Amino acid sequence: MEESAVKTGQIGDPLNRVDGRLKVTGGARYAAEYNLPGITFGVLTTSTITKGRIRAIDTKAAEKAPGVLAVVTHKNSPKVPGYEAGTDNAQSRVHGQEFRVFYDDRIYYNNQPVALVIADTLERATYAASLVSVTYNEDKHQTNIKTQTEKAFKPERPEDYARGEADAYKTAPVRIEREYHTPIHVHNPMEPHAATAVWEADDKVIIYNKAQGVKLAQKDIMKSFDLKEENVRVHSPFVGGAFGSSSRIWPQEMAAILGAKKVGRPVKVVLKRDQVFNMVGYRPRSIQKVGLGATADGKLIGVTHEAMGLTSTYEQFTERIVHPTKSLYRSPNLNAVYKLVPLDLSTPCWTRGPGESSGSFALESAMDELAYALNMDPLALRLKNFADKDPENDKPWSSNYLRACYERGAERFGWSKRNPKPRSMRSGDMLVGMGMSAGIYKAERTTASARAKLRSDGLLVVQSAAADVGPGTYTIMTQIAADTMGLDVSKVRFELGDSSFPQAPPQYGSHTTASVGSAVHDVCVALKQRLQELAVNKQGSALYQASADDLVFADNAIRLKGRSNGLSYTEILKLNNLPELEVTKESKSGPEKEKFSTKSFCATFIEVHVHPVTGMVQVRRVVSAVDAGRIMNLKTARSQILSSTIWGIGMALMEEGVIDHRFGRYMNKDLAEYHVPVCADTPDMDVILIDKPDPIVSPTGAKGIGEIGMVGFAAAVANAVFHATGKRIRELPITPDKLV
Amino acid sequence: MINFQYVRPTTQQASVAALTGNPTAQFIAGGTNLIDLMKRGVTAPETVVDINALPLRSIDRQGNGIRIGALALNSAVADHPLIRRQQPLLTQALNAGASAQIRNMATMGGNMLQRTRCHYFYDTALPCNKREPGSGCGALAGFNRIHAIFGTNDRDPKQACIAVHPSDMCVALVALDATVLVTGPTGERRIPFIDFHRLPGNTPERDTNLERGELILALDIPDNGFARHVHYLKVRDRNSYAFALVSVAAALDLSNGTIRNARLAMGGVAHKPWRLLDAEKALIGKPATETTFRQAADLAMQGAKAYEHNAFKLRMSPGAIVEALKTAARPA
Amino acid sequence: MKHRTFSVLFGNEQEPPHTARRDFLKQSSLLTALALAPSSVVQAAETVFGGRASSAAEPIPVVIEINGTSRSLSVEPRVTLLDLLREQLDMTGTKKGCDYGQCGACTVHVDGQRVLACLSLAVMMQGRQVTTIEGLAENPEQLHPMQEAFIRHDGFQCGYCTPGQIMSAVGCIREGHADSAAEIREYMSGNLCRCGAYSNIIAAIEEVKKGGAKV
Repeated sequence: MEESAVKTGQIGDPLNRVDGRLKVTGGARYAAEYNLPGITFGVLTTSTITKGRIRAIDTKAAEKAPGVLAVVTHKNSPKVPGYEAGTDNAQSRVHGQEFRVFYDDRIYYNNQPVALVIADTLERATYAASLVSVTYNEDKHQTNIKTQTEKAFKPERPEDYARGEADAYKTAPVRIEREYHTPIHVHNPMEPHAATAVWEADDKVIIYNKAQGVKLAQKDIMKSFDLKEENVRVHSPFVGGAFGSSSRIWPQEMAAILGAKKVGRPVKVVLKRDQVFNMVGYRPRSIQKVGLGATADGKLIGVTHEAMGLTSTYEQFTERIVHPTKSLYRSPNLNAVYKLVPLDLSTPCWTRGPGESSGSFALESAMDELAYALNMDPLALRLKNFADKDPENDKPWSSNYLRACYERGAERFGWSKRNPKPRSMRSGDMLVGMGMSAGIYKAERTTASARAKLRSDGLLVVQSAAADVGPGTYTIMTQIAADTMGLDVSKVRFELGDSSFPQAPPQYGSHTTASVGSAVHDVCVALKQRLQELAVNKQGSALYQASADDLVFADNAIRLKGRSNGLSYTEILKLNNLPELEVTKESKSGPEKEKFSTKSFCATFIEVHVHPVTGMVQVRRVVSAVDAGRIMNLKTARSQILSSTIWGIGMALMEEGVIDHRFGRYMNKDLAEYHVPVCADTPDMDVILIDKPDPIVSPTGAKGIGEIGMVGFAAAVANAVFHATGKRIRELPITPDKLV
Repeated sequence: MINFQYVRPTTQQASVAALTGNPTAQFIAGGTNLIDLMKRGVTAPETVVDINALPLRSIDRQGNGIRIGALALNSAVADHPLIRRQQPLLTQALNAGASAQIRNMATMGGNMLQRTRCHYFYDTALPCNKREPGSGCGALAGFNRIHAIFGTNDRDPKQACIAVHPSDMCVALVALDATVLVTGPTGERRIPFIDFHRLPGNTPERDTNLERGELILALDIPDNGFARHVHYLKVRDRNSYAFALVSVAAALDLSNGTIRNARLAMGGVAHKPWRLLDAEKALIGKPATETTFRQAADLAMQGAKAYEHNAFKLRMSPGAIVEALKTAARPA
Repeated sequence: MKHRTFSVLFGNEQEPPHTARRDFLKQSSLLTALALAPSSVVQAAETVFGGRASSAAEPIPVVIEINGTSRSLSVEPRVTLLDLLREQLDMTGTKKGCDYGQCGACTVHVDGQRVLACLSLAVMMQGRQVTTIEGLAENPEQLHPMQEAFIRHDGFQCGYCTPGQIMSAVGCIREGHADSAAEIREYMSGNLCRCGAYSNIIAAIEEVKKGGAKV
């Protein structure tokens, strides 16, 4: 039978999300939504001091409260073998000793979990958790990076870099030297972090959680509990936003696993919103100094970038804060230094554009300041210093369409109409400002595997232990598989979020499409090869002994070129008496990639309106021009840039985790006081996708799009605010109080 | 949340009795603030008295004004033709507050009784004289960006309070000379809106002058000449769904460019909606010009006092007053 | 109907579930007594119930129409509509984002109005009609026009805020606050989307509004 015509679903097409129906009907289940038989509810009691030791913990009242099954504390917690062994710093992603839940009496940060109360209903567990009474021996704590800078140290995994002479900017004819600050940002995904744990046997556990990497979570749990791979199963098919906050195993997973061990029933632990502020990481505060020196005509001579970030007392969290500086502009002399300040806070964690977002705020603000010092157009200054190859290592770019981003972005935005003089443009009563910036972000691909199973009913099921925290991985992988196989998208089902699937990297660092997409592509190529072999080697086949050059794969079938006769995939299975055909393939980049520097690029143009009296800033118009390689799905790719824009507005104008350092506690630990953008903050947005394949990064030509749009964004806003008001804000966020 | 007893009386008398008989009982109407506070352990009533069965939802003309039932929803009031036409300042202020969903739940009485958003009040691990009298004021030497510049108590550490009242609606109501009708154990009484909320004084735990067991029945807004020239200006950290850093309710009655009558109040600056009576007096009889507005704003700022993080309010407030008056004065 | 000074939430119309019957009687008789002599009897009530924890810990019956089906339930007074839906009825389409009325993820319709389930006590839903995302479409086979528009315009990414956005969007149109993009921006600001799909959400609502379909 002839299959119906292929639906829109080839690579690049703006296919609607294949998981859309589940998401708009409430049918998609997230981590806290597995109401398993016998489920119990675990609620965390947390510390009210920042540093010290637990003197006594009284759980009697909680234990006696109605419905309570157990209270787990450091006094009675099941043992965690991995905690005893300590962290293996050769293997760990963060240097230091990971935080150990219910391990001992030590308090490292405020709101730290000290007990898990498990009861038969959520309400009973919540109430009983308030009955746990803890007394402490309190030590003096420090949570303010500004007063602790003398404690800054070079991390064990350094990021320092130099080329040419250090501090050469100081001798340049035109120079600026400025200090910039970025605050703590909290990921605050809409879904609070949650985990449900079930011990199926003494040595076998299942976790339903919120994971950007199920294999990573599986590995961490295996190590902690000394379990075999096949005895740890992590399920996370839907993730309600993560942005980096679900890239490690956190207290909610450990507490659920320990609690489930204790009560012998499934335990569900859901973080309250205030716990999301310090149990699942955050973007660390930074203090940065940037020195730029140039010739009178704007050629950079020297760049110095000194960055300081905060970390906890038990781990050294480092991020790529000086990376954009190393590679974005051609400058013969450059030195970058990165130090950490240990504080009595929980360990930070990667947060969308981790490092690059903060670092580029400093760099791209400084570039604007230099442009004004030079009396030069900020875009012209960037073009003048465009790097034809990566100045960090002199490698050629695998692809670089940053010039196209500048040109097309500027044209669409109308940059030429900008009067560069600050406070020179108005719209009614409002001050109008226009600003721009450039962005650069690593484009990587790591090893990934996929399994493709063609069933006798014609459905192709492709599996990989990837995640889809929102970018559209389900959809894109479906498209890649359908396109590669010549299948209708309705005949493809892509599955992810299960640690029993073939290995995939976690969904962070904008490399899922390049990595998992390559594996899906390659496994489909392998499957086609197998189908072809089955078709041409089988006597009685319509394609018996046909030459490979004469075959085309399209419309769910293999056909002879220019002819309508052929064999559908299901007919090939039938002919060979196969109930299904399964292929698994590992995919990785070849050695040629090492010869290139692989990056995504963007140029951001922003118009702000600033109220001259109230200081309220509105981002009115954004043009983002992005080189992210070949676009896999125009619709979801555009959405990724819209998303970065909203994140960029949050970072630029309103987001800041505020701590009262006397107490070490967050002041604004909810969504009313930690401001993220709302619908009314939405600007008019124009997204330009350059859409040119990068054949070096991945066979599909994709680079990565999840983060690039945010890199430099906050600086573009700050630059626009300067243009509107004449005020240069070097400490984010740009709230109204800073402009009145 | 601690468990509680739930009752739903059907008469005013029974509602009042339920509260007077039980020292921790509290009324619930929309629940938009009470449930939030209960979840966070800030308050823990033993009995929650649901007053939604009481017939207090009407919005009507009454005498020389409009009477709004205490249980009328914020959204219903904001969208009501009478209010939109005759008291547009109230519509503007209501719509500046919270979100559409919350306005569909929140009642007029509940809005008046909402508690401060002070961070220290909300965090039971921190000192707060309002939540726990005598425990100290965390904000005084702490993070006080959102705090008051008028009428604070910053003297006695055991009684200090620099919190602000968070409502937008109440800023309009105080400007509009509303009256609050309440009933209680000793019968009905009327409270001028300006006297409804309190400054912290020595009892920061008390937000209002309601007595134990008193139930708000209605609000009366007298007719006025402020149907045309009004503006509610709200300065906040994002464009919607955020509490005010500073807000201004301005209403002008203009005749050929001269101010016949004026009303001015501020939010986000004091423990109560802050009526600017002296500034109003300075406006009346003067031409509606920026110079006049500036003089009024200067007068309004007398006695203001800032703390470590809220000095910006001293700069922002007079500008906001002038801006609100300018916008209000524009041809309708 | 018999008038009572105090009527317990569920009144007398509905027969409470058998298991809760005894508690129901115990409480309702006490509450009737409360009405007669408030202050003294409340004191007595605490003694009878042995303090507040036990006096209130008993689930009480409530009848709520959820997505067109009348449900006779037994809930503690402190249970929110949101937790009732998610934890007791396994209707997890309504999401918990903040639990404090600050994000809109739990938006449902009660008697046709969009409200927040996290700030609604289940006991206060007696006799009311609750519509959740699972019951928005006219039948399970079809999607509501707003659901279709959200898919078409990519009005979501992670999908977690989506049910709340859709319920709110329908409310926004029904209330008459979707006449322009600017109005939609303002009246949809009670629904946070951390993925930042706002512009696509606005486009979806505008399309449904202009299309004139009954929402």
